[in-house]
Amino acid sequence: MARLDIHSLAKRYGDFYAVRDVSLSVADGEFLVLLGPSGCGKTTTLRMVAGFIEPTAGHVKLGGTDVTLLPPWKRNAGMVFQSYALFPHLTVAQNVAFGLEMRKLPRADIDKRVDEALALVRLGGHGGRLPRQLSGGQQQRVALARALAIRPDVLLLDEPLSNLDAKLRQEVRVEIRELQRQLGLTTVMVTHDQEEALTMADRLVVMNEGSVRQVGTQRDLYERPTDRFVAGFVGRSTFLEGAIEAPGRFRTDGGLALACTGSGSGRGVLALRPERLQVAAAPIDGLDNRLSGTVEFVSYLGALIDIHVRLSPADRLVVQIANREGGFTPEVGQSVHVAWPASAGLVFTE
Amino acid sequence: MTDTALAHGPVAERRRGEGLTATALLAPATIFVALCLLAPLVILFRYSLNEFIPTKKMMVEAVTVANYVKFFTDPYYTAILLTTVRVSVTVTLACLILGFPLAYVVARTQSRFKNLLIILTVLPLFVGNAVRAAGWMTIFGNKGFLNTTLQWLGLIDKPLEIMFTEKAVIIGIIAVNLPFMVLTLQSVIEGIDRAVEEAAFSLGAPPITMFRRVLWPLALPGILAGTILTFILAMNAYATPFLLGGPLFKMMAPLVYNQFTQQSNWPFGGAIAFILMAVTLVLTLAANLLFQRRARSDLGR
Repeated sequence: MARLDIHSLAKRYGDFYAVRDVSLSVADGEFLVLLGPSGCGKTTTLRMVAGFIEPTAGHVKLGGTDVTLLPPWKRNAGMVFQSYALFPHLTVAQNVAFGLEMRKLPRADIDKRVDEALALVRLGGHGGRLPRQLSGGQQQRVALARALAIRPDVLLLDEPLSNLDAKLRQEVRVEIRELQRQLGLTTVMVTHDQEEALTMADRLVVMNEGSVRQVGTQRDLYERPTDRFVAGFVGRSTFLEGAIEAPGRFRTDGGLALACTGSGSGRGVLALRPERLQVAAAPIDGLDNRLSGTVEFVSYLGALIDIHVRLSPADRLVVQIANREGGFTPEVGQSVHVAWPASAGLVFTE
Repeated sequence: MTDTALAHGPVAERRRGEGLTATALLAPATIFVALCLLAPLVILFRYSLNEFIPTKKMMVEAVTVANYVKFFTDPYYTAILLTTVRVSVTVTLACLILGFPLAYVVARTQSRFKNLLIILTVLPLFVGNAVRAAGWMTIFGNKGFLNTTLQWLGLIDKPLEIMFTEKAVIIGIIAVNLPFMVLTLQSVIEGIDRAVEEAAFSLGAPPITMFRRVLWPLALPGILAGTILTFILAMNAYATPFLLGGPLFKMMAPLVYNQFTQQSNWPFGGAIAFILMAVTLVLTLAANLLFQRRARSDLGR
C-alpha cells in the first residue's frame, strides 16, 4: 500500500473542463470517497488515477512515484468496476489469477494467493464457477478479490455497489470497509450516494462541475459546509433567499428578520438543517428565532416526519421531527410555532 | 375431472390456435425454400449422375459417378479446386486481419459519426460485384491508374503484372468480402463490455496480452461467423475471378458456369457444383471444430 497524491489534475474536452484543478492527498491506508452528482468529474478523476484517461494537466503520484505518464498496466492500481467487468469466459479462480499471471508469479504462488483472495471475500470453494453462475453480490466480491489479489498500491472503487439491491448494499458497505481497515488499503471510491459515502469514508471530497468543493470528514461537511452546494448535497438544507442586513442579522425576501451566524454582507441564502429546527403547537421559549406559520405539507417517513411550514408568502421551510410516542402530530392547515438558535443557520453570500 | 377438463379446454384451444398461426407464418418461407432451393439442388444432383454424350442428345439418363471421377482424376480440374481453396483461405485471413481493427474502431467509437462510419463500411455493397471488378480493371491494368502513378513517381520501370493474375483476384474478392467481415465482427465486439478490457489493463495486461487473453476469446463467435461467411462467399466468387482473373485464371464458380453454358455439359457442371458445395461445407465444419477445440483448451488453461 502507498499514499496517493494528485496535483492540479485537469481534463479538458474541447472547451469543456470535465475536471479542473483537482488536488488531493490520500494517506497510506486511508479510505477517501469522491462524492458528487453525475457529471461532476469524480469518475474522470478516478479514471485518470487508474490511467485510463490521460490528464490535460497535472500529476498523479503513487507512493511518491510520478505515474502520470504510465499506462494502466504499469501502475499496480486495483480497480473494481461498476459493471464488475469480470472476464465472462474465465472461471472465478482464473479471473482472480489473471493479474498474478501478468506478474509472472510461479504457479504455486498464484494458486495460493487466489485461494487467499477468495477466502477473504468468503468465496472459497467457488473458484471453479463461471461468473454468470454467481449472484450479483458474489460477482461483486469476485471483482474485489481480483483487485486485491495483485496487492495493489491503491484500490479504486467505481460505484461498486450501485448494481446491488438496497439491502445487500448496506451489508456490502460494512464488509468492504472492514476489509479495507483490516488490510490497511489505500482506497479511493467514487459514488453519488451520500449515505454510502458517509458510512464508508475516512474523509470525503465533494465535487461539482469538475471542481473540488470541499474536503473533510463527515462532521466537517455536515456541520461546516463551505458553500451552498455542499450544504445542499451533504445532508439536507432548506434555503431561504435574502440578504445580510447587519452582522448576525438576515432579512429574507419575505421580510422576516432572522438571527444567524456567519460573516459577510450583501445578498445570500440562509441554510437551515430540517432536524435542527423545533416545531410545536404552542410558542417555544428561549431560542433566538421564534416564528409562526402554517403547515402546508406533511410527509410521514416512519421514524421521521417532514413538515413543510409556510412562514411568509415568500418563505417556506422544512422541519423534521422524530416520530415519538405522544409526540407532535401536525396536520395540514394547522398554525404552528417554529424556533431555532442563531447557530443553526448558516449564511452563504453570493 | 370435469373441473380440470373445463380448465384445460380453452387453454388447449388457444394453444392450437397459436400452432395454426405459427404454421401460417412459417409456411410461405418454407415453401419458397423447398421450391426454389432444395428442388433445384435435388434435380441438379440427379443430373450430376447422368452421362454426357455430345454426339447423341448431350445428356443421357444414367446412374454413374463418372463425372465425379473425371473431376478428381484430371489434374486440370483438381488444380482449379486447389486454386479456389487457396484464394479463399488467403482472402478470408486477409479480411480477418484487415477487418478486425476496423470493426473494433467502429464498435468502440464514441463519435457522433458512428452511423456514418457504418454506412461507409456498407457502401461498397451498393455497387455490384461486376461493376466493382470493372473498376478494379481500370486500376490494375498495364496502363491502369496504379502503374501509371507508380511509373510517374519513378518507383518502377516496368508496369507491375497485377491484372489477370491471382493477386488481382485476391485483392478484388477482399474488397467485396471485407464489409461482411467488418459488420459481423463489429456487432460482436459491441456486445463486449469495454470495462472488461480496462479490467485486463488494470491487472497488468499490456494491449497485446489483453487482446490474446480477453478480446479474442470473447469475440470468437463473431470471428467464426465472419470467417465462415467470407470463406463461403470467396469459394463461390464468380464475377471477380472472371473479370480480374482473365481467360487463363480459373476458379470453381466460373468453371461451373462454363460447363453449363459453353460446353452444355450439365451432368459435369452439376458434379462440379456439388463438389464445390461439399468442399466448402467440409472445410467450414473442420475450421469450426478446430476453433472450438482451441477455445475450449484456452478455457481449460
